[in-house]
Amino acid sequence: MDMRPPPPATQTQGHLLIDDVVKVYDPEGAAVLAVDHCTLEIEPGEICMIVGPSGCGKTTLLNAVAGFHDITSGRILMDGEVLCSTDRPRSTPGPDRIVVFQNGALFPWKSNLENVIFGPVMQGKLGRREALDKGRAMMGDAGLSGVEHNYPGEVSSGMRRRVEIVRALMNDPKVLLLDEPYRALDSLTKSVMHEALLEIYYKNRVTIFFITHDLEEAIFLGHRVAIMTTRPCKPKKILTVDIPHPRDYSVLTSKRFRELIEETNDAVHEEALKAFQAGEKEG
Amino acid sequence: MSGQLAKFATNRAFWRGVIAVAVFLVLWEIGARSKQWMTPEFFAPFKALLGAMGFKKDYLPWIGAVPAPSAVLKAWIAVLGQAGYWQSWYMSFFRVMGGFFAAMLIGIPFGLALAVSRVAHGIGFPTFEVLRPIPPLAWVPASIIFWPTQELAITFITFLGAFYTIVINVLGGARSIDVRYFQAAQSMGSSRWDIFRRIILPGTLPSIMVGSAVGMGITWEVVVAAEMISGGGSQQAGTGGGLGFFIWNSYVGGSYEQIVVGMISIGIAGFASSELLRWAGRYATPWLRVR
Amino acid sequence: MAATLPVVAEDDAIAVLREATPFGEASPVVLSRIAALARPARYAAGERIYTAGDAADDIFIVASGRADHVFEPEVGAREPLKRVTRGGVFGWAGLLLGQTRRLATVTAVEPTEVLRIDTEALVALLESQPQEGGQVMARFAAMIRREFAVPELLAQVRRLSGPLTEEMSSLSLTMYRLSLWLKSPRPYLMLIGFALFLGIWYLAVEVWKLPRFREMPGLTTVVKEWFSPSPTYGLSLYTEEYYKHIVVSVWRVTQAFFLATVLGVTFGLLLGWSQRFREYVFPVFEMLRPIPILAWVPLAIVMFIATESAVIYLAFLASFYATALNTMLGVQSIDESYIRAASCLGASQKQVFRHVILPGALPFIFTGLQISIGVSWFSLVAAEMVSGQYGLGYVINTSYVMVRYPTIIIGMATLGLVGYTTSALVRLAGDYLMEWRVRELALAER
Repeated sequence: MDMRPPPPATQTQGHLLIDDVVKVYDPEGAAVLAVDHCTLEIEPGEICMIVGPSGCGKTTLLNAVAGFHDITSGRILMDGEVLCSTDRPRSTPGPDRIVVFQNGALFPWKSNLENVIFGPVMQGKLGRREALDKGRAMMGDAGLSGVEHNYPGEVSSGMRRRVEIVRALMNDPKVLLLDEPYRALDSLTKSVMHEALLEIYYKNRVTIFFITHDLEEAIFLGHRVAIMTTRPCKPKKILTVDIPHPRDYSVLTSKRFRELIEETNDAVHEEALKAFQAGEKEG
Repeated sequence: MSGQLAKFATNRAFWRGVIAVAVFLVLWEIGARSKQWMTPEFFAPFKALLGAMGFKKDYLPWIGAVPAPSAVLKAWIAVLGQAGYWQSWYMSFFRVMGGFFAAMLIGIPFGLALAVSRVAHGIGFPTFEVLRPIPPLAWVPASIIFWPTQELAITFITFLGAFYTIVINVLGGARSIDVRYFQAAQSMGSSRWDIFRRIILPGTLPSIMVGSAVGMGITWEVVVAAEMISGGGSQQAGTGGGLGFFIWNSYVGGSYEQIVVGMISIGIAGFASSELLRWAGRYATPWLRVR
Repeated sequence: MAATLPVVAEDDAIAVLREATPFGEASPVVLSRIAALARPARYAAGERIYTAGDAADDIFIVASGRADHVFEPEVGAREPLKRVTRGGVFGWAGLLLGQTRRLATVTAVEPTEVLRIDTEALVALLESQPQEGGQVMARFAAMIRREFAVPELLAQVRRLSGPLTEEMSSLSLTMYRLSLWLKSPRPYLMLIGFALFLGIWYLAVEVWKLPRFREMPGLTTVVKEWFSPSPTYGLSLYTEEYYKHIVVSVWRVTQAFFLATVLGVTFGLLLGWSQRFREYVFPVFEMLRPIPILAWVPLAIVMFIATESAVIYLAFLASFYATALNTMLGVQSIDESYIRAASCLGASQKQVFRHVILPGALPFIFTGLQISIGVSWFSLVAAEMVSGQYGLGYVINTSYVMVRYPTIIIGMATLGLVGYTTSALVRLAGDYLMEWRVRELALAER
């Protein structure tokens, strides 16, 4: 692992501003308010964790940033540039904001390496050969050498997630949008994945917008943790995690980590209870 | 009900469908009437071209030989009053039901036996798989030789049509039941019979219903051809031989409109019986409706 | 830790390698090439050979002495401690999928001589020997799993690139499955099944002469006729006519199938891809579909002047419905997140279609093609029975009319065989095009 101290926010790219965003599903019919005047600012190179119970509307927020859904009002800016606003409700998906999906979206019909080089080749940014070289190098850095020619279906799910993150980083994105990427993993694999993600992060320092319902994961990884209210979704409490980066697994047993958990646990539990009583289904 | 209708009326997909069907009918009408509108001298070079390509010169290829929808409708209204037409419905329906229920009666236990017993599977399945690629209609002559009456022969062919599908579906359904259900049942002390009755049977029910609906489709498919090939199986020529024979007889008699009437009738009959089964299937498996 | 003395002579190296599980079956040529890669080294008692977490560069084979091999707890090996002696192999972590670090700490217990082989050099060598290379890798995998009791999930070795290895491993897999199958009761039950079927046919028709069965052609009659150089009813394996009928039927199905595949896949992709197209066209498609193909027979004869075209049209129509419908379902079944991921990664609409929609729909398309070839035969037979000259359906029907009963059965059996072969061909083509899926399924089966 990279043992250098974390550089102070040297990143200049990847500033994300979610400004007073509202999302109403089916405005003419049932009119479900999913996101309610949500404002959140994420600094360049920050890991911002969004915590909330399943179905609270946090994925809606991510989809709005990525350009998969319209917003009803408000605006989202990246590096001062308007992605979407009330007038232009849907942003255009692009390689500057790459999503790593909940259940993984590596194309099962392409080998891992083919998946990794997909972005640059499709955009025409790199020739196939250059892309292959870069892809191999990046997979090697992420400890993935040897599985280049395997199909995603042939490697473990933890490895698939790593391949997917490498696929995203191949495009030098400004922001990585992670939608509960480790949800389906067992807790042991998860812990390995967390360290691997941090390792990749220390090398790239890309802004990370990370959605989860796991408080420990959030505090372990994030610079800040935004705890969201359940439907409608907006920040209830924003916690700054003052444990210095780089972190490794010893953090989990540290006193400060426990304290932070205790500080926030009630807020999260309260929302989970609300969500449960509302009978919300997974989503 | 009226609410549903209102929803339909504002549904874009519904109107697009209506437009598409209307356009289809109009094009069919125009194409079918090509014999009439292609008479002027203006079309002479076009006709020559058709001739050179090996088609009939007087009308558009393919579609020009088909009777127009308006003529079909007229012919349909005409036969609606004839007893023979309804007799054909009845005959085909009777054969389909006979074959289909025989297939259910034999196919479901057979499929379940293959699924439950390894020995039965080992003995029965390969033979089944060897016979399956032979299309049911290839059995028509053999069936006519074997069965004492044509009626039974046709019913046997329809039986074969549905049988394969039902068995395959039952087998697949029973095999795909989650092993954990068995383990759960065993840990709660169920006997083998209980497991069969309370897990395998209901677990297979959805695929039985799916297989039946598909099998019903095939049954109609088969009965038509069997009736055509065997000549209706009725002593009174011309009437009462089933819808397949109705079509064949119309062909032989040269009333092409009636061919299309027969086709549409079979389409309706097949569609209605499959839908009926699907509806019954939904009713029989309420636990699948929730989601 | 360095090697000082000339510890292991080259001949000896080969002998040591032969005692090591992974190389036990390798040919002398390959062994000597591996031995050429090996560098001898010697460690004193108590010396640390490597530590868990080090870069996994070399593979070690013990020539003499003893070493303790202790796994890290994360590995989840059933027995963390293993003592390796002559012929023992360790340091293989570099061969595992995605593994670049040592998984264990190894310490010499007594003065120990080893052979060190660079992992990448070994892999390169194995790749140049696809056939044996694959076997060595397979034996490595087996050894890691059994001798070191490493959980299966972790003990997945890297795959050698190069096409030949693939064929070899799939061939050996097939052989393995075949041997398993032969050891199970299944083939014998199958024989019993066939014997029962044929026996009942034989006995009922020819020995007991049961009522109704009596009229049927018997087993021996059919077989005799089929294999007779001068058949009583004019059709057997030795007559030219027989093959002519087969060729005609196959040719008709081929034309219908290809036409239906080209049109059906295109049409289905459009239906699945464009909502507008689907909303306009699908209702008409669904309106025509309930009409049984076979009900089209007379109309097809009227529409097409040539009977040949009419017959092919009927076989085509059946195939077309199946292919188009399944292709559409295939497109609709593609997980939205694949399309989103592709657009995230900067793919244009056209690229999404080419790289996501088409390969994603392929499993369904091939399911459709499987059904399609089946229904194609189904309708062809009916069409041939009603009209047309030549073809297997025609054989069956005329044999009935001309009272050549054994020939009916020959026609049916041939039809079954030919139909089965064509479906198998379609399945093979699918497996070839969807290697990723075959491998996924193979893994799921294990």
